Amino acid sequence: MRHICLTLALVAAPVVALADTRDDKIESIVAGHILPRFEALADGADALSVAAQQDCDPASAPLKAAYGTAFDAWISASHLRFGPTEVDDRAFALAFWPDSRGATPRALNALLADQDPIAASAQGYAQVSIAARGFYALEFLLFDDALSAESDARYHCQLVRTISADIAATSRSIQDDWTASYATVMLTPAPDGVYRSDAEVLQEMFKALSTGLQFTSESRLGRPLGTFDRPRPARAEARRSGRSAAHVALSLRSLRDLAARLAEGDMSNRLDARFDHALSLLAALDDPTFATVAAPQTRLKIEIIQQSVDAIRAAVRDDLGPTLGVAAGFNALDGD
Amino acid sequence: MKNAFLSSTALIASLATPALAVEKAEVLATYADIAAAKYEDSLTTARTLQVAVNALVAAPSAEALQAAKTAWLAARVPYQQTEVYRFGNAIVDDWEGKVNAWPLDEGLIDYVDASYGGPSDENEFAALNVIANPVFTLSGTEVDARRITPALLEDTLQEADGIEANVATGYHAIEFLLWGQDLNGHAAGAGNRPWTDYAAGDACTNDNCDRRAEYLVAATDLLISDLEWMTSQWADEGAARGALTANADAGLAAILTGMGSLSYGEVAGERMRLGVMLNDPEEEHSCFADNTHNDHYYDGLGVQNIYLGAYVRVDGTVISGPSLSDLVTEADAALDAEMRGKLSTTMMSLGRIKTAAEAGFAYDQMLERGNDAGEALIMGGVNGFIDQTRSIERVVSALGLDQIAFEGSDSLDDPDAVFH
Repeated sequence: MRHICLTLALVAAPVVALADTRDDKIESIVAGHILPRFEALADGADALSVAAQQDCDPASAPLKAAYGTAFDAWISASHLRFGPTEVDDRAFALAFWPDSRGATPRALNALLADQDPIAASAQGYAQVSIAARGFYALEFLLFDDALSAESDARYHCQLVRTISADIAATSRSIQDDWTASYATVMLTPAPDGVYRSDAEVLQEMFKALSTGLQFTSESRLGRPLGTFDRPRPARAEARRSGRSAAHVALSLRSLRDLAARLAEGDMSNRLDARFDHALSLLAALDDPTFATVAAPQTRLKIEIIQQSVDAIRAAVRDDLGPTLGVAAGFNALDGD
Repeated sequence: MKNAFLSSTALIASLATPALAVEKAEVLATYADIAAAKYEDSLTTARTLQVAVNALVAAPSAEALQAAKTAWLAARVPYQQTEVYRFGNAIVDDWEGKVNAWPLDEGLIDYVDASYGGPSDENEFAALNVIANPVFTLSGTEVDARRITPALLEDTLQEADGIEANVATGYHAIEFLLWGQDLNGHAAGAGNRPWTDYAAGDACTNDNCDRRAEYLVAATDLLISDLEWMTSQWADEGAARGALTANADAGLAAILTGMGSLSYGEVAGERMRLGVMLNDPEEEHSCFADNTHNDHYYDGLGVQNIYLGAYVRVDGTVISGPSLSDLVTEADAALDAEMRGKLSTTMMSLGRIKTAAEAGFAYDQMLERGNDAGEALIMGGVNGFIDQTRSIERVVSALGLDQIAFEGSDSLDDPDAVFH
């Protein structure tokens, strides 16, 4: 409790001024970076569920707008994969992507074909395959040519409402756990706790930064890039809703905030400049879905954006990590 | 943190002086010796499989098919225990996809059920069926597959069109050729390929029995030559052993990288948790043979026996020597106890999955939507792997390897080159 009050007082102060000790950094990140993001996600997901209740038509402008706001909030929080997001597979249930097996359209088609009554309530729907839950499944129902024009409008509508309500419930659970307990867990490491020391807490945060950068480079940019001989524009993230490049920008802005709170002094400035560089390259691209990865000229631009993200990764690993005295550790992307 | 490192490094250095202390080089030697034994055991058991496959092809019968399946299952026991050598050793990683790639779009190889579907967005060759098509076009080039040879599988079909799911070689391709698709959904039961898929003349079912046999023999021969190659890399003058022992700290970091990456990202994540979350019976590591419970079990055992520095060979002899556990005990005895405890807990959880599966509760069934008991069993294994990974990270710190570990797996561009 002491920590919470302290951090609330400190949030208003500039980040750089308070990033003196390890403890200060942790408080700044929990109060200034993590909690606001999960609050925005919970609020945005609530609004999405309300909008779907009011109008479940895939053509509804308010529904699409609410979807966009909530999805933005998730992308901005999507690197924070520890603690409450990992309970009951919550993060997976919000965001199952990449889907290299095509499981999402397959699972949705099966539900629609069977008129599966499991979609009657969000509570029951929590048992369904993660491939048919969350933002990426909803994208198919709202934006995919075939799946948004499903013949049985009644069941389609129910599915849109239930998936939205499920997203809202999951997001609220994450938010509740953060405010009720996990913020305190991170602020008060103990020998018998989840984190034994400030160093372990910082390592978790550092891992979130490095894994987030890795995911943006390898998946958000690397999947559509494919190889020069075999570019894969159809693999771009959320291309049906035209959000691919926007997700790269959202994630970089969010990771820049986290990096600024972890780094100090000159290094902070250097990292910030690298993020600025990547973001300005992206802003100049004008290709929202990376559809032009097959054309040599534009492909090169997207490759250079990826290289600029990899340059941030290298700086984070080689400069920031040793300064903090932590290393990246293992992450969920370590497999193949 | 810098100070903490300095003092712990100094502590290790001072403890390293007494005569009884464990030398890092000895720990690396044990690890390499166990690698050599595991790959040699994999090779020995694969040769037994080869004998059984050749017998099946020469004189097809239900008994001969069953004998080949039995040999395949036995061959998996040592091989799965080698997976802990991935991720840390580049030489293993670069090679591994040839023998154990998964998941696969099996329609590339042979006939499949109508429910499998055809070419997909991700893979236009998902239903190519090489066995039925002696000539076909791949990425604009006509391929002559009238003879199915190891070279055809290795050079042309494997990862055709740059798609990883186009798996033409290795254990899982052979598994598919022996068992066939598992069409039981979430019900118990493995694939049920009839032995007559290899029968001669009119007795042949599902056509092209001679080409199917040719494929099976070629894939098995290739597995043998690949395992021979890897076994030699771990011999006394082998390249994998040389790379590992070139720098003692980097070698230790490689061991721990393999242990942690296999535990967390690969087995706990990609192979176990994803299957539960997708409720998909195809998300089984050995989905044709229904041997997934053993895949997970022996992966876990491989991590544990590397840490403890003792491996039981397929002939019952034990290879053992100075271990990572000994080294950690000198640095932090409590951490060693924690690490051993976590590894045991994981093995207990994986043992529960294995015993339940062997008693008739198939892994397919555990994955079914709403099957709470199955989900609890699998998540027990997942949680064990994730929890032991945290202790592996602590071991990395305790041995002062933070800035060495975790760097080998990423191929980042040189940041200076980008900005100049």
